[in-house]
Amino acid sequence: MLPPASGTGIYTSVSPKVIRLLRQGCTNRPFFHVVVAVNRAHQSRPVIEQVGSYDPMPNRHDEKLVALNFERIRFWIGNGAEVSKPVAQLLGLAGFYPVHPTSYLQAWKTREKMEEKNEEKSN
Amino acid sequence: MLRIINNFNFLRISATEAISYSTSSNTLPYNPALLPVKKSHRKPRWVPIAKSKIFRIPKRPVIPEDETREIRRLFNDYRNHEKSVKNFLVEKHNTKNQASLDPEEILKSFKQDLAVCHEINNKWNKENKILREKRLAEELERDIAFAKNRIEQEIIKEQELFEFTEELVRKEKEASVNFITKENIDDAIDKALAEAVDYNFAIDLNGEKIIGRNTKPVQEQDKISLKQ
Repeated sequence: MLPPASGTGIYTSVSPKVIRLLRQGCTNRPFFHVVVAVNRAHQSRPVIEQVGSYDPMPNRHDEKLVALNFERIRFWIGNGAEVSKPVAQLLGLAGFYPVHPTSYLQAWKTREKMEEKNEEKSN
Repeated sequence: MLRIINNFNFLRISATEAISYSTSSNTLPYNPALLPVKKSHRKPRWVPIAKSKIFRIPKRPVIPEDETREIRRLFNDYRNHEKSVKNFLVEKHNTKNQASLDPEEILKSFKQDLAVCHEINNKWNKENKILREKRLAEELERDIAFAKNRIEQEIIKEQELFEFTEELVRKEKEASVNFITKENIDDAIDKALAEAVDYNFAIDLNGEKIIGRNTKPVQEQDKISLKQ
């Protein structure tokens, strides 16, 4: 029996909360839960709530699957939860948040690499 | 219960102990799989820098001036946008900004919500009613056709059975012409006595049949060959 997505973590109204990724999965197979947790809590501690999941390994259709519970994310951000960078990137790509600058940087790098490859091919 | 187990794990208290503190009556059996394993994702503080890395100087990234400016601009814009989104969400979803906890208002909003739900439900019911009636009519038609078919088959079956019995009765009647009844039993007895049939026979050494109990084998006309 796994802990429920509603979470079992203890928190107070004033404890600083953060929406962050929590690495599940196993060796060589990353899988992340998007969770609301107390800022200082270790990743092994029970979370306050799970608000989504993220599978960083592309599936056979070349998709990285993300599930987000926007209703709860809205609630938690509205109640002062911070958002970690990776989650902010995901939210930006989902169109919930503004697109994160690092997403642009990554896109530039990828584009450069692709152009280099294409040039090599053409040469 | 799960909450108790998970949170006592932090204090390094076993689950069984944790359960013993709880006032709740439903107890979970101790299962280590329920407990998260505390694993560190970095090396401990007291472990020094690896010897091979002591004199390594990481290369600083060289970013052109215009790109730096662009990145700075992007980050500034991002922070602004993020702030505005956050403020909006705080305004809309923060529990402090929510409507008052007046029970009458809550009841009112609940009733409004219920009315909307009822409306949607009624709409669905209407849609479903049309579909259901159509389906029921089709089913009824199908059932009637099935029943009619069955009735026809039953009639044919009955007809066949009737014909079969009729045939039997007819044959029996034909055969009953020669039956011995109360009326003609005396005649039949007289006839039988008058025409006595002797089924006895003997076989001689040549395998020839000699019919009758008292017949003598010398008579030529009584000899009948078995080989015939």
